[in-house]
Amino acid sequence: MNTMALGIRRGLIEQNSILRDRKELGTNIAGLVMYLMLILWIGRNPAGGGVDMTAFMTVGFVAFTVFSAGIMTLPMLIAADREEGALLRLRLLPRGVPVYITGRAVSLILHIAVHSALMLAIGGAIGGVALPSTLYGWATLIWVLGLGALSVIPLGAMIGAMLPTAKAAAAVVGLPTMLLMIASGVMIPMTMMPAPVQWIAQVFPLYWQGHGLRAAFFDSPGGELHKAWELGTAAMVMGAWAVAGMVLAPWLLRRVTRK
Amino acid sequence: MDTVISARGLRMSYGERQVLRGLDLDLRRGETVALLGPNGAGKTTTIEILQGLRIRAAGDVEVLGEDPARGADAWRARLGTVLQNWHDHPRWQVRTLLDHVAAHYPDPWDTDELLRTLGLDGHATSRVRELSGGQRRRLDVALGIVGRPELLFLDEPTTGFDPEARREFHELIESLDITILLTTHDLAEAERLADRVAVLLDGGIAVHGTPQEVAATVQAPSLVRWRDGSERTDDPSELAWRLHQRYGGPVPGLEIRRPSLEESYLNLVERSAA
Repeated sequence: MNTMALGIRRGLIEQNSILRDRKELGTNIAGLVMYLMLILWIGRNPAGGGVDMTAFMTVGFVAFTVFSAGIMTLPMLIAADREEGALLRLRLLPRGVPVYITGRAVSLILHIAVHSALMLAIGGAIGGVALPSTLYGWATLIWVLGLGALSVIPLGAMIGAMLPTAKAAAAVVGLPTMLLMIASGVMIPMTMMPAPVQWIAQVFPLYWQGHGLRAAFFDSPGGELHKAWELGTAAMVMGAWAVAGMVLAPWLLRRVTRK
Repeated sequence: MDTVISARGLRMSYGERQVLRGLDLDLRRGETVALLGPNGAGKTTTIEILQGLRIRAAGDVEVLGEDPARGADAWRARLGTVLQNWHDHPRWQVRTLLDHVAAHYPDPWDTDELLRTLGLDGHATSRVRELSGGQRRRLDVALGIVGRPELLFLDEPTTGFDPEARREFHELIESLDITILLTTHDLAEAERLADRVAVLLDGGIAVHGTPQEVAATVQAPSLVRWRDGSERTDDPSELAWRLHQRYGGPVPGLEIRRPSLEESYLNLVERSAA
């Protein structure tokens, strides 16, 4: 079997075995339940720009899914793979490393796709959230999802490779991720945040991921910080994180593995 | 003579600490060699260099005719490894994992047959983490040999085994007809499995040979006991001769105990530490 096919199959098996794992399933369902309760509770309130909170939070949580998959799920999976020995086993197999990387990428994409689809389906059924209606909207959706994922995956891979255990990874990235979730306009529109929080949030890719996705889903930028779609800035900030991650990660990893 | 591993003047250090200072090692096709040594002697480092996982500081190394630092996939496909303390892929099913690992190799064993041989056919659809310690170990062996390796590395394979699991494992290894490099703390294991033993001390091979030769080379004193006394001596035969003369015939209760490999080994390690 060729390397790419083997990697894809590995990703499918990984994701399938995670989905069948009771603990993992519990964590995933808990996230969806929290989202469901929030939209039932405050979903009908306006979020600005002619959008209600259900639509706002659905898009926000999709952005957070991409962000947390890269910065939280990925390092925990990699740390667990190292702790348990899967990484070493794969390093000892012919073609093991490319197969591992492909498999991880596939399982991460599946994780993002399944979660996002579930939230969009729930948001659509309960709050009438509609998918983008134009080709331009779909194009925006795709590049924002892709660049947003790229902005966190190298960093997540690096964190996962450097931390000793999955627990340590969860402890290190858990709190900052939660703070960013609150500060970056996933649940609460940024316009309601104090100015210093707004400034800090705009440094990180999560805010721009959400902003870009709202541009794909919504017509009016009336609810945004600067009352305008700033897709150029979104691309620049997420692109800068992606480049920094891709430059830093291999360099740091080499330093760590040489020890 | 078909050489599978050849290492000359192998050197490795981590920062200031020199772990290997000129190690020489040879493995011929078909033989099992045990690498013995106390913790921190560099056994795992040696294996990792031979597998191409670590880059040596100096020395000439060839494994299956290639430099492991440059070993490509085709070379890697000829190696197998069973390491200590693997808990990987806990959520995967046994057969799924074995099939996946087998798919990396050009000419793997039939996985159903392998599961049957290793007595795991009843657990093919179990999750890996549901296996008992001994079953998990047999799966590790299956994963190590599924690619039909020419050379198998076993790094402290029976650490934490109960005696029965250990015996099962030994029988399994003895039934394999391949070249094996084994590291272990367990002298009895080395004596049972290995054609030759190499003792790693102070970053080099201190002694090597058959288990008997090693015991003879590093001979700890033998213990001679008889009815009226006992004595430790390097030359038990000479003492027995003197005793015969003293008693003017058979020595009552004469008993001569040659040192086991373990005693010789500990003797060697103590001398090196002193």
